[in-house]
Amino acid sequence: MDNKSYIEEIKEILTSSGADAWEITDTRETGWEFYFIRHALDQNRVRLVEHVRVKVYKELGDKEFLGSSSGEIPAGASRDEIASFVDGLLKNASYVKNAYYRLNQPEAGEKEENAPAPDVRAISRDFISAIREVPETESEDINSCELFITDVTTRFLNSEGIDVTNRYPSSMAEVVVNARKEGAEIELYRNYTSGECDAAALKDNLKRTMQTGRDKLMAAQTPNFGKMDVIFSTDAAVAIYQYFEDQMNASFKVHGFSRCEIGKSVLGEGDVPLTMTAVRTLPNSSKNTAYDPEGAPIRDTVLIEDGVAKNFLGSRQFSQYLGLAHSFIPGNIRVSGGTFSEEEIRSGRYLEIVEFSDFQVDAMSGDIAGEIRLAYYHDGSQVSIYSGGSVTGNMSEAGAHMRMSLEKRQYDTYEIPALTRLANLTIAGTQ
Amino acid sequence: MKAPFSDFLASRADGLKKLVSLLERNYSYVSLLATDSPGFALAASRKVKSVSWKTMTTERGCVVRVYRDGQYSEVAFNMYDPEKPEEIRDRIEAALEEQRSLLAELGIKPYETPMLPDEPETLFVEMETGRLPEKEDIAGLISSLSDISAKGIAEGASDGSPILECQVRAQSTHISKMFLTKNRDLRQSYVYSEGTVACVGVRDDQNKMSYEGISGRVGPELFDDLGALLPKTQEVLADVLSAEKPEPGEYDVITAPDVTGLIAHEAFGHGVEMDMFVKKRALGADYIGKRVGSSHVTMHEGALCDDSVTGYAFDDEGTLAGDTVEIEKGILKTGICDALSALRLSAKPTGNGKRENFEHKVYTRMTNTLFDSGEDTLEDMIASIKSGYLLRGSNSGMEDPKHWGIQCIVERGYEIKDGALTGKVISPVVMTGYVPDLLGSISMVSGDRGVYGNGGCGKGYKEWVKVADGGPYLKARARLG
Repeated sequence: MDNKSYIEEIKEILTSSGADAWEITDTRETGWEFYFIRHALDQNRVRLVEHVRVKVYKELGDKEFLGSSSGEIPAGASRDEIASFVDGLLKNASYVKNAYYRLNQPEAGEKEENAPAPDVRAISRDFISAIREVPETESEDINSCELFITDVTTRFLNSEGIDVTNRYPSSMAEVVVNARKEGAEIELYRNYTSGECDAAALKDNLKRTMQTGRDKLMAAQTPNFGKMDVIFSTDAAVAIYQYFEDQMNASFKVHGFSRCEIGKSVLGEGDVPLTMTAVRTLPNSSKNTAYDPEGAPIRDTVLIEDGVAKNFLGSRQFSQYLGLAHSFIPGNIRVSGGTFSEEEIRSGRYLEIVEFSDFQVDAMSGDIAGEIRLAYYHDGSQVSIYSGGSVTGNMSEAGAHMRMSLEKRQYDTYEIPALTRLANLTIAGTQ
Repeated sequence: MKAPFSDFLASRADGLKKLVSLLERNYSYVSLLATDSPGFALAASRKVKSVSWKTMTTERGCVVRVYRDGQYSEVAFNMYDPEKPEEIRDRIEAALEEQRSLLAELGIKPYETPMLPDEPETLFVEMETGRLPEKEDIAGLISSLSDISAKGIAEGASDGSPILECQVRAQSTHISKMFLTKNRDLRQSYVYSEGTVACVGVRDDQNKMSYEGISGRVGPELFDDLGALLPKTQEVLADVLSAEKPEPGEYDVITAPDVTGLIAHEAFGHGVEMDMFVKKRALGADYIGKRVGSSHVTMHEGALCDDSVTGYAFDDEGTLAGDTVEIEKGILKTGICDALSALRLSAKPTGNGKRENFEHKVYTRMTNTLFDSGEDTLEDMIASIKSGYLLRGSNSGMEDPKHWGIQCIVERGYEIKDGALTGKVISPVVMTGYVPDLLGSISMVSGDRGVYGNGGCGKGYKEWVKVADGGPYLKARARLG
């Protein structure tokens, strides 16, 4: 049975199941993967998979409540097995009494005109070639890398008449770089996600990573600095902006985790001109789709403007609970509002942390935590290189005096200020 | 009762064996892993309830591994006609040939590796379970979860502070896996379950969360006791709401079994995954036979070490489960190893070759990573500390096998002064340090032990698998921030 008739069969079963509403998400992926140890091929892999997920809805108590239950149709299931599976979902849906909401309705989205089908072979060639072209030296080289290139087709259908398809490339390159000096060797881990391969950006980033490796070999143990301004100049800064995105998420608001109010500052007493927009596309993002996973069209929408909450966004269930008229699950985020030049951001005494073992900003509490693997301490005139220790703080205090650079940088689905400076974080050293 | 092996896989076995046989005409070695693992995930909170037939490990699909000319390749697939193995063979071969043509065009050479052995073995294991997720009373369970959530919200934290949200989760998965080669036919079936209660409160405009979990290689009967987690979660919420920020510095600490498990996992769990030895990404390779901890430190790793969420009979490469002593009285004895890394290192595989699911590659992964118990008591350990903290609640950690740095984010620390708990709490606590220093400082070990299997483990920032870790209370010296 071809894919079209398979989905039609599932649609027929759902339509006659007694469900009051239903959704189907059919995801087909052709994935090519290459694993290298140094420049030799450890393994090559292919993924040829399809996942059909369905969600059924049952109206309860005169449309006061809506029950739902979801699952993936087991691959290879017969028509009888699919019917039995749907029947089970429907039964479970009646046990789940959530406040009523409607499924998304058909609405035209902004489509890519003549978007070509992703060419996994060509993208794979670009990635492999780019990695091989990175200049290595006796003291800095690539230890290993893993490449994942996927042609993704997602079709979403629901009982309201939505039938939309997104097709896009999704890629990931995980690269480990080594640097060595006088018998000591360190490694740096990089994980790049994108749509296709941006060879120039990848090579440039890896060259900079090798410089970082050289610096790490010279690093001293981090002193106990106590309170200190910290500059974030790498992809770790995305976690800072994700925190704000989470505060504007409809689910977060409904659950009471976000205390943001439309028209009020999201930064407390602060006066930071942070502007955050959910955008349909960013160059070469791995999430450049016209529709969200629930079939809602994605349109550029401002979440925060000049530090003031403008719009919550999220899934249709929580969006309707908040009474949002046009909402969707954001894919790409653009942050603007930075007013400082690099020179202004880099003024005075600060610690620029460029490598963490892991850096987290807890969405729930705003707690900031990360172990420092490489940092540059600027005392106003001289620069010292440190490693070890940790940085901690809380966004509710640090965010209010955040400084953002005018210059921006993109990390796959986030375009953010190239430099972000948070005041008065705590640096626990290892000296 | 026995967790029954998947009827679906049993019905596909002959066709898949035929596929293996067909592929052997073009490849020197062929293996196939087929999976069929249904399960459910239920959640109840103040405003939303959900029922899904999807957990971290639900899956149904196949992955074929083939070997030719020193090169291993894999194809994962899930839509196929079992009556037409020739058609599947053609799809697999065509996909791999397309990749090979690109690799040839680019002049890529393989990382030469010997061929895997294929020793004859037949295994059929159906492990014990009380109930099955497929047959669970979902109506009763969602009602029970909702009651626990409502009770938590109504009662508040143990100090009377209001609870903003109380989310209760239950998930259970029935794993069935079949591993086939020309000479091996291994089949296993087991059920594991995990439940959590999480409470959120607010103080000074900041959300604080507490979390308690239970898990094990058992069926949904595990959830009969889920309500017992609520009082502890309410108590912990009161603690974190009143917590102060830690004063950075080096302290004497006692790690509770869950934090002990986090150390085991991040320090010498990831640190001795031997696929990292192949890539020369782990310092551990140079320390076999050398001291890496105090004489109080003995650590085991293996699926056979505990009946936890990862207590399987064979791994995803068809290697039988093991119990490896990684560290014995402070001396690093060996690491854990998947089958291909074992070939490359002339070592023996330890039954630690795991995939996130059938679509993912095998890596060396942890199963149960556990410190051995000692003979001290928690009371004596607290009494021995002049100034320090008892650390409880494992949030997250990050490995660093190359440099042996360690980062553990711990939920809370209870102050100890002059041999007694003062009642002061700090939260959150970032514990960092150098692994041999931390393990070398372990001076007391309690006689009890806890094993924790909630959550998952990534390799770098991906490849999420179920693991469990734990051990006794440990007294050590650590840097807190």
